[in-house]
Amino acid sequence: MSSIVAYHRPTSLDEAAELLTESNRSILAGGTAIVPEKRADHTGEVEMVDLQALGLDAITAVDGRVTLGAMVRLAEFSTDPRVGELLGDLARRELPSAMRNQATIGGTVATGSADSVLIAGLLVHDAQVEFHDGGSLPLDQVLAEGSGGTIIVAVNIDPTGAGAIMVTGRTPADEPIVAAVARSTTDGFRLALTGVASTVIEVDPSEPVSGLEPPSDFRGSSEYRLSVAAILSERAVKAVA
Amino acid sequence: MDVSLNLNGTTHCLSIEAHETLLGVLRGLGMTSVRFGSDTGETGSSAVLIDGTLVNTDILLAAQAAGHEVTTVEAFNTAELDPIQAAFVAVGALQSGYSAPAMILGAHALLEHNPDPTESEVRDLLSGILDRETAYVKPVEAILRAAAVLRGDDTDPFEPLILEPMTDGFKPAVVDPTDTTPEAPRAVPRIVPSPDVPEMSVVGKPEIKVDAIKLVKGNPAFTDDFETRNLLVAKVLRSPYAHARIVDIDDSAARAFPGVHAVLHYKNTPRVKYASGGQSYPNPHPYDQVSFDDKVRHVGDRVAAVAADTADIAEEAIRLIEVSYEPLPAVFDEREALAPGAPVIHDEPDTTEIFDRDRNIVHHIEADRGDIDHALASADHVFEQTFRVHQVQSTPIEPHISVAWLDSDERMVVRTATQVPFHTRRMLAPLIGMAVKDIRIIKPRIGGGFGAKQEMLIEDIVAHLAIATRRPVKLELTREEEFISSRTRHPQTLTFKSGVNADGTLIAQSLRVIGNTGPYGAHGYTVQTVTGLRGLSSYNCPNKRFDCDVVYTNIPVPGAYRGYGAPQAEFALESHMEDIAHRMGLDPIEFKRQNWVKLGDELDIAPHLGERAVAEGELDEYPRVTSCGVEECVAQASRAIQWHRHLDPKWRRPADRPTVRRGIGFAFCMHGTAIPFLDMGGCSIKLNDDGSFNMLIGATDLGTGADTVIGQIAAEVLGVRLEDIKVYSSDTDMTPFDTGAYASSTTYISGTAAKIAAEAVRKRLKERAARLLGVEEPCTIELRDNRAWAPDGSSVTLEEVALDSLHLEDQEQIMGTGSYVSPECPAPFGAQFAEIEVDIETGQVTVVKLVMAVDCGVAINPVTASGQVEGGMAQALGYAHCEEYALDDEGRMLNARLGPYKIYRADEMPDLEVFLVQTMEDSGPFGAKAVAEIPKDGVAPAIRNAILNATGVAINDLPFTPERVWRALRADS
Repeated sequence: MSSIVAYHRPTSLDEAAELLTESNRSILAGGTAIVPEKRADHTGEVEMVDLQALGLDAITAVDGRVTLGAMVRLAEFSTDPRVGELLGDLARRELPSAMRNQATIGGTVATGSADSVLIAGLLVHDAQVEFHDGGSLPLDQVLAEGSGGTIIVAVNIDPTGAGAIMVTGRTPADEPIVAAVARSTTDGFRLALTGVASTVIEVDPSEPVSGLEPPSDFRGSSEYRLSVAAILSERAVKAVA
Repeated sequence: MDVSLNLNGTTHCLSIEAHETLLGVLRGLGMTSVRFGSDTGETGSSAVLIDGTLVNTDILLAAQAAGHEVTTVEAFNTAELDPIQAAFVAVGALQSGYSAPAMILGAHALLEHNPDPTESEVRDLLSGILDRETAYVKPVEAILRAAAVLRGDDTDPFEPLILEPMTDGFKPAVVDPTDTTPEAPRAVPRIVPSPDVPEMSVVGKPEIKVDAIKLVKGNPAFTDDFETRNLLVAKVLRSPYAHARIVDIDDSAARAFPGVHAVLHYKNTPRVKYASGGQSYPNPHPYDQVSFDDKVRHVGDRVAAVAADTADIAEEAIRLIEVSYEPLPAVFDEREALAPGAPVIHDEPDTTEIFDRDRNIVHHIEADRGDIDHALASADHVFEQTFRVHQVQSTPIEPHISVAWLDSDERMVVRTATQVPFHTRRMLAPLIGMAVKDIRIIKPRIGGGFGAKQEMLIEDIVAHLAIATRRPVKLELTREEEFISSRTRHPQTLTFKSGVNADGTLIAQSLRVIGNTGPYGAHGYTVQTVTGLRGLSSYNCPNKRFDCDVVYTNIPVPGAYRGYGAPQAEFALESHMEDIAHRMGLDPIEFKRQNWVKLGDELDIAPHLGERAVAEGELDEYPRVTSCGVEECVAQASRAIQWHRHLDPKWRRPADRPTVRRGIGFAFCMHGTAIPFLDMGGCSIKLNDDGSFNMLIGATDLGTGADTVIGQIAAEVLGVRLEDIKVYSSDTDMTPFDTGAYASSTTYISGTAAKIAAEAVRKRLKERAARLLGVEEPCTIELRDNRAWAPDGSSVTLEEVALDSLHLEDQEQIMGTGSYVSPECPAPFGAQFAEIEVDIETGQVTVVKLVMAVDCGVAINPVTASGQVEGGMAQALGYAHCEEYALDDEGRMLNARLGPYKIYRADEMPDLEVFLVQTMEDSGPFGAKAVAEIPKDGVAPAIRNAILNATGVAINDLPFTPERVWRALRADS
């Protein structure tokens, strides 16, 4: 039997937080990752807590930064001029159309795929992850340590600066084997890489592959990923310089 | 839990389980347009509109949709088609139509907010709906045309573009570099007419597909769309090991689980040996399978099956079956399987007729002409190259699905997604201990097959379970099961050795193949023979040898896949010939042209290979090339690709993109049309009261348009409109026999059967009409425009003839039957070009454009024919570029999902352009030859040769993934 045994749709954050105090409950955002995962998992029992009724789907711009509600769909995000051209492009690249309509910014961050170009874009745009308890953490820390089961309510970014993405994949729209996302800032560049570690990582643009030991898989060996990461990093930085 | 669902404007109060997807709930409510393709959202075939937005229902809990507006394509279904549905029908955007409802809903959502979308925006919309059939060319055109209609813009009729021939049919054209192909939307078929082809009324016209309405409306059409009372659901326990003995099975816990009705495995199922490949009687040996064995030979192999009240219960029961395995060493590479000490995969004594059991050689195949050794020794130049081709799958969006039950006469009925209903009936009979006469196979519409469904893959499982439970049983494979337990293309190692004289004449050519047939023979023998005949038939050469070992391994099972051994051969052959030309300093096309077969040339190795192979001296005369339009194909396609650029160094090394190299590659293509003396199809036609006809055919339309094309052939003979021919296919109780949809045979074989049947009906119609018209010589009567015409201009309608014959005088049922088997195998020809870019630092290859010109004789329907070429090229692109099975060291597939197993999406397709070059093939119905498989042949070598043109590096392994190309570039530098 599927492990999903109950469904909840709280109408307030406090209600959601209360529901999530039980260890067998999982947050359900868009569901593109967690629904197939939990339906295929036949061990244990899990109750889904759907965040769709919490009003977390707004995009707001304040003081030069943009706050993306956790339940903002990638499709909506991709066409909002306030997030900038690069992030809009990355949201389109992240998933094909129908899944883009379903997946959310909060779900993308919580899933934390090592191949996510959107997460790379959020990293270089100085993303801060905001939680229900009022706290916030830099995105790289969330990727490294997780959110601890706390509800992500928003992701806050600095949308300014020119950006560029360089990718290598099997086909033009393939999930990249390696991608480099760069952004110019007032004091230089920020650069993030996918496909070279267990999570997307931000790297030093002057030494982008120093110390990296990329994992190997059927799409690319460690040696290949390392070589391509260096090339794409140089190109991405050059493109925004 | 109770939820309220607003579906198509009606509120439904439902009691559902928390884990249920919206897909399951909608199908339970009768929304047959919402279709299963995956359980991870990747195919998009289940997409509906939620509050006007396209969303995949296979990854959406039904509970998530509560309180939202859910719209399926059924909401748009009225007596008239809406403009988007109408556009899909008009431009031939439907092949199987399995995912068409999702595309139509997506188009509604797009056009609601963006009435004037760009092509790029349409392709972005379609990016979420995978299609293995159309290459997205005609769906994109349909949506753009629908947008124009909805805006009130004028649109041109969707008609073929007729082009002037560039050659006289024989001599090569001199293509002016400044000359360009006339512009037209890519979806429009480009036809180069032949003066040898007469003007016809229905044949050659872009008729609407006969099944278009049901497909565009999402009406019940596919196996899963028909409700059956008391249906049980089956699930299969599959092997986690690549090679193991089953020491014991304990099914007691599974049997005791509430809701479980049967558990089958080797202990309680008769051990009847068979071969699963859907082929003519007698199926090639060895019979190395049984329904449930005590040994497993690949990860995903069958261990046991359960029938239960629900899928959840069946899955739970599967987990409760305790199996004791004795793991055995496994081998995956065909070369290693031949080596001394390799594990023996079929050591059971009851599998006989294995060529060399201890070396895992299931078949050894040889054929030769002339004296190859002497010719190689005497040749001015000798060239030898080895190529390795990999394992891929056709991935039809509709997985394998079968439903079996005992009818009221206690006969076994199986409704199933199959390409071979008649073979399945015959092959199933001994396995379930029933007579052929007591089995009925019904083939409804099929959501793509491409060869994977030329197999009795799961029909025996549901039949066994139906007998065990006395209830209907359904089994539908998951996407993962489709990957690990369905059928795939054979990997091969191919070595060509050629002797060429200094003047460029090919005098000797040998082909050594080691074919990997996985754990079962299935199509292993016949696929490899096709590799041999395709590899050694395209070029004239007096001395040839084919030498092949077909080898058992422990990979997921290879079988039939569109092209059937030809794509492997053509990749190696066209690469080898290209390299010979370069090494001899010759122009590749000129060198190939000097040697390729031409009109009238003998095809002297084909009769010595295959299921009806003949020995030396058994033939009075070898078959010859009876029609050939390849020079026109080369001319049209080279103009479209602007072939002259491949010699322009400035174009190949763009100054503004220093890490990019460009190239164009060419491949000569030649295929076959049906298997001579073997493939047979039947047809019956009867006249109705209103002058219409029912046509029953055993041919199996997979979405290719076979029903339409065969209907057009009958309509042409009978002088009626296509809509007056009501086509029904295929049902072993109702329709005549047909070998099935494979070997590019349907139009040629089944179409000729229909022509013969229609001619019999026409003869009798003329006789009855002559009597009504007072004409003494019935042969002077002409049928056209649904009337019978006398020489003096008087006429009667076919309705009047029908009413007279059925009701008024000397009553009779006017009907005709026909069947056809061909002694010939006329070759379609083609010219395939590819334009690519290579990033020389990362190895990434980007395919910019594919152009194919095909001589398929007379295209009975240019829209469906061009759709076949577009879709075939797209699949071949995946084969060349990105698709591959990745197995770990234990034989487990690492990428058994669409996504990790990469197939092309709409928003990343290269530009595709297709030309249909007419020739008149006299042996075919109204001049037709095959078109379905030849588009699979040339893409891989054309891309490979384009990479060579761009970089100077020859790569002899597929696919051209970034790291493979990067390593080749590094090795070269």
